[in-house]
Amino acid sequence: MSATATEKNIGRITRVIGSTFDAEFAEDALPAIYNAVKIDSEQGDVKIHLTGEIQQHLGGGKVRCVALGSTDGLVRGMECVDTGAPVTVPVGNATLGRVFNLLGEPVDKAGPVQAEEYRPIHQPAPDLSDLSTKTEIFETGIKVIDLLTPFVRGGKAGLFGGAGLGKTVILQELIARIASAHGGASVFAGVGERTREGNDLWREMKEAKIGNTGQSVIDRTTMVFGQMNEPPGSRLRVALSALTMAEYFRDNLGTDVLLFIDNIFRFSQAGSEVSALLGRMPSAVGYQPTLASEMGQLQERIASTNKGAITSVQAVYVPADDPTDPAPATAFGQLDAFVYLERAISEKGIYPAVDPLASSSRVLDPQYVGERHYKCARLVQQTLQRYRELQDIIAILGVDELGEEDKRVVHRARRMERFLSQPFLVAEVFTGKPGEITPLEDTIRSFEEIAAGKWDHLPEQAFMYVGSIEQAAEQAERMEAEARKK
Amino acid sequence: MAKARALDKRRKSIRNIRKITRTMELVATAQFRRAMERAVSAGAYTQRIAAMVADLARAGASVSHPLLEERQAKNGAALLILTANRGMCGGYNSSILRKGHHRADELKGEYENLRLLISGKRGISYAKDRKIELAATYDQFNDKPQYDEVVKIADHILSEYLAGNIDRFEVAYMKFISVSKQTPVVETLLPLSELAADDEAGKSAESNGAEYEFLPSPESILEEVVPTAFRVKLFKCFLDAAVGEQIARRVAMKAATDNADSMISILTTTYNRARQGQITNEIIEVVSGASALQG
Repeated sequence: MSATATEKNIGRITRVIGSTFDAEFAEDALPAIYNAVKIDSEQGDVKIHLTGEIQQHLGGGKVRCVALGSTDGLVRGMECVDTGAPVTVPVGNATLGRVFNLLGEPVDKAGPVQAEEYRPIHQPAPDLSDLSTKTEIFETGIKVIDLLTPFVRGGKAGLFGGAGLGKTVILQELIARIASAHGGASVFAGVGERTREGNDLWREMKEAKIGNTGQSVIDRTTMVFGQMNEPPGSRLRVALSALTMAEYFRDNLGTDVLLFIDNIFRFSQAGSEVSALLGRMPSAVGYQPTLASEMGQLQERIASTNKGAITSVQAVYVPADDPTDPAPATAFGQLDAFVYLERAISEKGIYPAVDPLASSSRVLDPQYVGERHYKCARLVQQTLQRYRELQDIIAILGVDELGEEDKRVVHRARRMERFLSQPFLVAEVFTGKPGEITPLEDTIRSFEEIAAGKWDHLPEQAFMYVGSIEQAAEQAERMEAEARKK
Repeated sequence: MAKARALDKRRKSIRNIRKITRTMELVATAQFRRAMERAVSAGAYTQRIAAMVADLARAGASVSHPLLEERQAKNGAALLILTANRGMCGGYNSSILRKGHHRADELKGEYENLRLLISGKRGISYAKDRKIELAATYDQFNDKPQYDEVVKIADHILSEYLAGNIDRFEVAYMKFISVSKQTPVVETLLPLSELAADDEAGKSAESNGAEYEFLPSPESILEEVVPTAFRVKLFKCFLDAAVGEQIARRVAMKAATDNADSMISILTTTYNRARQGQITNEIIEVVSGASALQG
């Protein structure tokens, strides 16, 4: 923007292909890679305001750009102006409570943003020496997460799952649980998901209050959206815009930041949409060959430093329920905690549909969580693992053919499986049950007791959608009383 | 890629299971027929003996036999549970054990002490697992229970009963009613009176109204007949249990084979789909790679 003030570097569009376009500049004034170029033009009645980002230098003064908006109405010969810098977004406290698009423009119709500072969305990852080495458990009050896939304060957690398994619901639940108890700022990035969900979330945050400060959650939250309807270039960069805002809170204001991204898969998907148009050869399963490096560049920036921490929770869509698909597989390697949602579990009506065997966490280690927690988690996993192994035999021969020990394992595993469900705060309107926040201590004790056989006498159904084990006992009594009435 | 292979492996193991269950189904069918013949032929003999005992008891009302008397003392009871030596017979063992366990709890309340006897390895391991104390265990009875073996047990029980160590003896087993119906029951074998009174044979004997003349004396006749009736009755329990086991096994194995069949067909469909998807994917990759090079 500073460059435009002195002398405008103007080029012309020479080719438009889908959401990419080529432009020609003077050979001695080529804009740098990642620079933003702007097109402001009028074709008859159609006004075009488009920003593009330079991706390639093609030689002979030609550059290839990704359009960060719709290319509808774009024609050859239009003027495009080099802004001399990458896309910049407003940062700082002025962004709190506002909703932006990827260009940093407010879209909540609440007037212009009074930001003191703007930052380019392309930033280097923090230095190795600045990274924080602290490992502290982040309690969520969700039993299955706290027990089996504990989150790390200042770490990254991923929610993996196929279509309709409740990734967004868990993400919103986490926002409801931790953002309302969180002192620092929160940043939400909506990447290629439904606009309606973003809208719902915004309204919910407006209503929710932080602790007893009287402040709405939204007042401490910045939201950035580039949803499904946006062209791929927009979905490709919106995560960076949000991340840049989060980084500012961390680096310059030194606060702890929560960064929620829904859905990081759409970032890879958008990259694959523009990749072929940029002339790259598709790689495995048709993804861009740069899949891993793109993901790495984004994820490495989401880090905790000595100045402040970014704790991030990301939803990751798993196409066709196949976790070996390159996009989720690439994201997987970047995360501290890995929560995998399984269709078979959601089909049983158990929500959150977390697969206790496929999910894992870096910190589920006696060194971090303590011996007792670790042992309890492993015991639960072993029991459920054995149950899964026996499932084929049960399906063919029936439970009666199992040995006494295996029968007991199955008996307890079925109870544990159900006990991993939990009523959610955000799902209260659907289930009619108030959300349960279960302290980690209660969770561990409850599972230890189930494993020890203390609650073998309760019916399976009593374990569904309760908090601690005492509530399961209460539910069993209620069920019995109802059955007696009939 | 790994998915198709895993599915194929699983399908193979289920095919192996199916082979076994199918064979066991056929074996059980054959054994069931033999066991049933034995049970039916023994049935006639048992009924006749029971009828005779009832008749005699009525005819010689003045004389009594210790095995026929209801005892007031409630010192000890014995419960024999007949289970199978092998599994793979559906709910056969567990239904008898449930019934037997329940009855044992009741008896424990009524009598000072209870001796629990179990026949069949399944029942023995059940008791061992629950740390239930057993007075005696038997695992020598297979598909064809031998009369000699049963008599040994019967005689041991008789001597204990006559010595007054136990005042009641019951058997929990699978009663054979018809080919399609068997129910787990608990029957009282000692004292024999209860058995004789409510038996069909008792009624038919009444209509006969036969008159008996005892020679040399009613006591000596009863002395011989009553223990035999008990032995035969116990033997019949073993035979019924053997039939029940074979029927249960045949039914369970048939169901298992059917289950395996349906699972194989589901797995085959899934496997084919995975394989096809894999091939399609590879073609797409080759084609799109080639066209990207051209473009």
